[in-house]
Amino acid sequence: MFSSQSFKDGVKHAFGVPALGLGSSMFAFGAFLHSAGFDIYQSFFSTFFTFALPGQFVMAETILAGGTLLNIFLAVLLTNSRLYPMTVNITPLIRNSNVPKWKQYIGAHFIAVTSWFNFFSVQKNIKEDEKFNYFVGLGGFLWANSVVCTVAGYLFSNLVTHEILIALVFINPMYFLVMTVSNLEEKKIICSILVGATLSIFLNDVFPGWSVLIAGVLAGTLGFFIFRKENNE
Amino acid sequence: MSSQFIYLSILVASVGTYFCRAFGMFSAKNIKVDSPIFHWIRCVSMAVIAAVIARIVFFPVGILTESTMLVRIVCTLILLVVYFLFKKNVILAVSSSTICFVILNHVL
Repeated sequence: MFSSQSFKDGVKHAFGVPALGLGSSMFAFGAFLHSAGFDIYQSFFSTFFTFALPGQFVMAETILAGGTLLNIFLAVLLTNSRLYPMTVNITPLIRNSNVPKWKQYIGAHFIAVTSWFNFFSVQKNIKEDEKFNYFVGLGGFLWANSVVCTVAGYLFSNLVTHEILIALVFINPMYFLVMTVSNLEEKKIICSILVGATLSIFLNDVFPGWSVLIAGVLAGTLGFFIFRKENNE
Repeated sequence: MSSQFIYLSILVASVGTYFCRAFGMFSAKNIKVDSPIFHWIRCVSMAVIAAVIARIVFFPVGILTESTMLVRIVCTLILLVVYFLFKKNVILAVSSSTICFVILNHVL
């Protein structure tokens, strides 16, 4: 797998803007953990095993707020629940009958917003049987880079002022936004994005904690049904 | 907070996160590319990501609460304007927005 050209192409794709966009946010996360009193191993393990930044921040902040393990589990589950529809969406594309199931489940660990968007931006140009290796190269490199950047952020946190740290944290949603608007081609997607963002703001007070999921399912369903004909074109 | 508790927290956070991925993979076993459900789940995924971004900009948690909503909204608009004005240049858009965020957050 690692010697295949599609794997190397995936790594090449991740190297550059995707790695920089996610890496800077992971650097901020590492620096944040340092300032919050975590140790370097905890910073390393957090990105190594979780690799989903919004949930990692929620975990650290719930710990600092004195939450229980159940609080942390539920808060992270809700925050990272976006990974469920994303995984259901990407799996039919990267599924490969020649790759053992256990390898595919390990590959699922690399599904995150950055790898998901970047894979979808090129997947039509990749041969069916090469998609899994390409995705593992792309996602795996982003994951490894994230681990390194988290540790670097922890080690060099003294070089970053608090104001810069807040700005680095802000890069993550902005990078997500750029990737989101780069997909504004199909009407059903445009509708889903606009309604999803608007609904989540209005539902925040009504369903705190659940607003993102409810807004996402409602808006996505609305976009899909209104522009149903688009699917058949 | 004890070191042991933090490690346990990382463990439960990782299990919660990986559950979303593994269950997603399991749920997708009968879904075919270009089936209606594939298109529907793509719409839902995009909407959920948009909802996450909107929530972070309007109702953040953690250290982003140390910035004002006005600064976050202005910098989001700067990002979009620069992105579409300069031929979808990702680095320019993200760096412009971040630099403006640092300046505005310091001034306001």
